[in-house]
Amino acid sequence: MRTTRALAAAAFAAALSLGADLPMSRAARVFPSLSELPQTPLSFQDVSLVSTGFRAAAADLAWVQLLQYAAEGLPELADPPGHGYVHLKDLTLRVTRLDPSFHRAYLFGAGILGWFRGVDAPDQAVEILEEGRRLDPGQKMYDLYIAALAYKKAGDYQRMIRLLDSIYDDPQTSPQLRAILANIHKSRGEYELALRIWEDMLDHERDASEHARARLQIPELKRLIRERRPRRQ
Amino acid sequence: METIKAVFDYTLREHVRHKVWLSSALFGLVLVTGGLVTSALAQGERARMMLDLGLAANEAIGLVSVVFLTVHLILQEIETRAVFLILTHPVRRSDYLLGRFLGTLAAVGLGMAAMGLFHWGLLKIAGWSDEGSYALAWFCSFGKVAVMGALSLLLSLALTSEAAAMSFASFLWILGHFTSEMRFLAERSASVFARAALTTVSHVVPDFAHFNYRDAWHAGPPGARWIAAAAIYALAYCAACLALSVQFFEQKEF
Repeated sequence: MRTTRALAAAAFAAALSLGADLPMSRAARVFPSLSELPQTPLSFQDVSLVSTGFRAAAADLAWVQLLQYAAEGLPELADPPGHGYVHLKDLTLRVTRLDPSFHRAYLFGAGILGWFRGVDAPDQAVEILEEGRRLDPGQKMYDLYIAALAYKKAGDYQRMIRLLDSIYDDPQTSPQLRAILANIHKSRGEYELALRIWEDMLDHERDASEHARARLQIPELKRLIRERRPRRQ
Repeated sequence: METIKAVFDYTLREHVRHKVWLSSALFGLVLVTGGLVTSALAQGERARMMLDLGLAANEAIGLVSVVFLTVHLILQEIETRAVFLILTHPVRRSDYLLGRFLGTLAAVGLGMAAMGLFHWGLLKIAGWSDEGSYALAWFCSFGKVAVMGALSLLLSLALTSEAAAMSFASFLWILGHFTSEMRFLAERSASVFARAALTTVSHVVPDFAHFNYRDAWHAGPPGARWIAAAAIYALAYCAACLALSVQFFEQKEF
């Protein structure tokens, strides 16, 4: 008799859990399938962490590895001589497909691919940003980056710079984009503007990740400004 | 009810005094603090990384503790014959099982709450602002741990081998995080048999893939509908496992 009661209770509870599973899975956040992750030598790490339930932690580790790759390269993913950031798009998509709401990763990868000297892959940058618009809607920065890249591709640098300048103080603007803007001004010979940006970044804690570069750039820009002055006189 | 409470109190005291419980809680604190160091590598995403690693460490320690403790819970008492002594008293087997399970879960929950509080404090010191709901993420982790505890108890009684029960529990934990992948494959499968098999398995194993608010934290807070469904799901899944455990326990001859 007790046995029958236990089995009946188990059947009832199992039916209830099945009934709750359907609305729960429909209302839950949907992540890209593991098959959509880019194939890299680090794929085993991703699959191990995701399969044990640590997807957000996997995205964080992938982010650190992306930063390492951008800084000095990962030993697992060496670039061929003369070609920089060959794996950057894949490593960026790796982070964003592990966690599609990783806004900074989309912008970081797109920033390097779109504006870094010697990389010049704005199409790849736009692909990343388009994916960001699809998987992480509601982030205005993706649209602004896409617009700025469109101006760049059309050769309309004035409008591109004006657009980037307009989002300079936006809290969502990454320190990396401010550094890119400073470098664009420097490459156009607008040293005073570049210097002002680096000094401003050095004054703000929000740009702490670029402070080391700012400390290198500021004396160099001051020297360039000094060297140019005698020619003007 | 009083019998359940008495068994609950005795189980909770037993676990809290146990050194394994204390060392796992200390190990959890070390892991949570380790997140503070590792997160320094994440540049502007330090708070995010501290949050994710801390919550993951808390859940991992909770999982290991609950599986280890529940698998031993009844089998060890059968082995040492302590269960005979208890069941000679007017204690129903279902009450004994429920009290033991709830006491174990409370001990693990206390450890997880201590780690959670410590982690939350570290996050606040690091200047983290609560955009989502830390309490909800903690409760979801605890829900997963509770489901795994009930499942481990069932496996230990059904398989009567601690090693087999732990292995199956680990396998089901992994499979549980693949439910969305299984449904994704089922949708794309041309074979009716494969589709039916994948769909059935994805509903039978615990659906951790859709229960995991911790991983979906950065996408924003979930709706009330998800919270209600997830709470019912965890409670019902635990109840189903416990009812089946009672069934197996009743059938054992002492």
